[in-house]
Amino acid sequence: MMLDISGLYASLMHEVKNTLGLMSITLDGVHPTGDPEHDAPLNETRLLCQRVAERLQQALLLYKAVNGQLSPMVDAYSPADVLGELRDEAQALVRDRLKVTVRIADDVPLIWFFDRNLVEMALVNAIHNSIQYARDRILLEASLDDGALCLAVKDDSDGYPEHILECVRNDQPYRSQGTGLGLQFARLVAQAHADRGREGELRLTNEDGAVFRLLLP
Amino acid sequence: MSLIAFGKAETDIDYSAMRALVVDDYPGMRSAMRIALSNFGLTKIDMSANATEVLFKVQHNEYDLILCDFNLGDGRDGQQVLEELRHRGLITLDTAFIMVTAESVYEKVAATAELAPDDYLIKPFNAEILRHRLDGILRRKLAFADIYRYFAGGELEKALECCDLLIKEKPKYIVDTLRFKGELLNAMGRFEEAEALYKQVIQMRAIPWARLGLARTLHMQKKDEAAEELLHDVLEDSPELVSAYDLMAEVKLARNDAREAQAALEKGAAISGKTVRRQQRLGEVAFANGDLDKARAAFSAALDKGRHSIFVTPADYGNLCRVQVEQGDMNGALDTLKKGKMALHSSPEGQLVSAVVQGLVHTKSGRAAEAGRALDEAVRLRNVGARADEQSMLDLAGVCMANGRLEEGDAIVREVARNAHDSDALMAKARQLYEATGRGEAGDQVLKEATAEVRRLNNEGVMLAHKSDYAAAVECMLAASREAPFNPRVIMNTAWVILKRIDQEGMDHDLFAEARRLIEEAGRQSPGHTRITGLRSHLKQVEGRFGIHGSKKK
Ligand SMILES: Nc1ncnc2c1ncn2[C@@H]1O[C@H](COP(=O)(O)OP(=O)(O)O)[C@@H](O)[C@H]1O
Ligand SMILES: [Mg+2]
Repeated sequence: MMLDISGLYASLMHEVKNTLGLMSITLDGVHPTGDPEHDAPLNETRLLCQRVAERLQQALLLYKAVNGQLSPMVDAYSPADVLGELRDEAQALVRDRLKVTVRIADDVPLIWFFDRNLVEMALVNAIHNSIQYARDRILLEASLDDGALCLAVKDDSDGYPEHILECVRNDQPYRSQGTGLGLQFARLVAQAHADRGREGELRLTNEDGAVFRLLLP
Repeated sequence: MSLIAFGKAETDIDYSAMRALVVDDYPGMRSAMRIALSNFGLTKIDMSANATEVLFKVQHNEYDLILCDFNLGDGRDGQQVLEELRHRGLITLDTAFIMVTAESVYEKVAATAELAPDDYLIKPFNAEILRHRLDGILRRKLAFADIYRYFAGGELEKALECCDLLIKEKPKYIVDTLRFKGELLNAMGRFEEAEALYKQVIQMRAIPWARLGLARTLHMQKKDEAAEELLHDVLEDSPELVSAYDLMAEVKLARNDAREAQAALEKGAAISGKTVRRQQRLGEVAFANGDLDKARAAFSAALDKGRHSIFVTPADYGNLCRVQVEQGDMNGALDTLKKGKMALHSSPEGQLVSAVVQGLVHTKSGRAAEAGRALDEAVRLRNVGARADEQSMLDLAGVCMANGRLEEGDAIVREVARNAHDSDALMAKARQLYEATGRGEAGDQVLKEATAEVRRLNNEGVMLAHKSDYAAAVECMLAASREAPFNPRVIMNTAWVILKRIDQEGMDHDLFAEARRLIEEAGRQSPGHTRITGLRSHLKQVEGRFGIHGSKKK
């Protein structure tokens, strides 16, 4: 018997997404009681659930990138809305372990053109990284940088390891203790956002902590 | 830099009075969604597991928001559900429709803002994201409330004014507003303005819907060469944008390239073959190209995918059977009738189509007596007022002629000709019928006579209208529409001159009622014709000016 591998793969993926979606939204329905014995494992589980979701998205994105299907579907979105959504999502995840804030520079336009899914995916990965490494706070920031929209995730961690900064600066692949996929995808997402000959860009720096910047022309 | 306090800067959405419908074939997801929504304050939450249930529920309740999974169990997907809901007027633009999908590519399916959901939620997502997206959509709906109200009431001028106002007052929505305004301008036939608008959006960013909109306005202005070039570029950048293939096919047809039109539709159908109307169009074009295998596959797919859809009519059965008969597959045609028995027997139109196909099959198989009985049945149905699509009517005429019933055949051809005098394809098919029976000259005579009067009256009416002699134009057009009561162009022209006359000379209630009836008929004969929205809007304006309350939309 011949197996329709790609069909099976698609329905498997579908099933995983459904179940994961269900799990995530079911967990959101469980409210904290104030009892650490109940709340701590609950919070941990929610975080883990988001991490699995993130990994699944990366797997799918990898599949798309390999098949050359990473063409962004650009429309107009409000940068403030996007960061607001991500902030609330992150704050709900970490409860009061960290403080997540948003800052929108005055010159940021009300709307900008980008693929909301791809950009959110890249930012969510950066946020999840910060949740792992930050001490007290995460700042999500929108500003204008030489005519491009700059969406930044800043934390108060020890900062990125030097070899990762080096590799991103030189546009090279790198190895990390983890998969290193998140940041590399962020770079792909940035570069997929080209407008009138100008490409988007991923910039990593260490300032007060790790600073992740996505520049979208 | 300014610190934004979220939830305070914009109006809070009150969910407690809203009614929601959750559509998912998976019970676990339905109940999880219910819990999430009730946490937002919603109390009235209904659930549906499949498309049939949705249609039923929406007919009996008014929903503020519908969350619909794209993959539904019963053969229809979320996009088909949305299109059917909008097409049948079961939900208005005030209802927030959110498509839940596991794949981000479905985003590329919807062509027009009206057929696009308000937002997409890509699985997996959590309650926080759901809440933000809902807040965002509902705030936008509030901002658009006036525009939607005027649009639904057919007051397109007012809707346009509101668009301009909204762009000034809430620049955050500028792109959404421009998209809607572009479609308003198209519906009103103001293609040059629409063209300028799409170019303005593209100036900001070459987003796919704006490029498609521009290509469409170019096509409407018969600038098909430019439209083709643009679509070519669009498809190069986004080869999965299915609606671009549909438009490309129309543009290719306008440029008399039917082969390429078929090729474009085939590409679209390969990406998204579930859309009934794409398959119907592909079948028509392939049939006209003489590609019977492709035509048969497409018409079968249309019937197959559209089993429960309102976009399938008896004409679709007629189309498939016609191809099968042409291929010499008589049993196939009879089989198609058998499979469609339930649908066909429920309407006089379906019964007529069925009789015509039987007549065709028996005639081709040399069974004169059975063919005669099928013809008698068709005649009986026609006598009690049944009408079928023009193609089937011409088939009927052909069967009459082949069985020696020349006068009945001629009468049917005359009727079709009067009601479709400007359709080259149908006139050519009619001519073929005569040539096939060696009566070419008689045929030319029949067609000339049948269309002469309609043509004359219509041209004269339009000319009088251009001279602003609306009283005489109305007399002329009323005569034309008595001759050709189902001719879309004639009845739209008639409605138009009546409304013009009322604008000029004041109210005449009988004429006004006739205009209303004609516009409704035009909507039945040519659903979605670009002039109809404009005529409805004109009707509304006249109504408003004379304080008439129109019959309420059902
Ligand atoms: N906010 C951060 N602070 C410190 N180190 C970080 C931060 N974000 C990422 N890193 C480092 O960069 C590496 C690569 O991150 P990423 O590309 O997201 O892949 P992964 O999370 O799978 O390791 C991480 O393993 C970590 O060493
Ligand atoms: Mg990571």
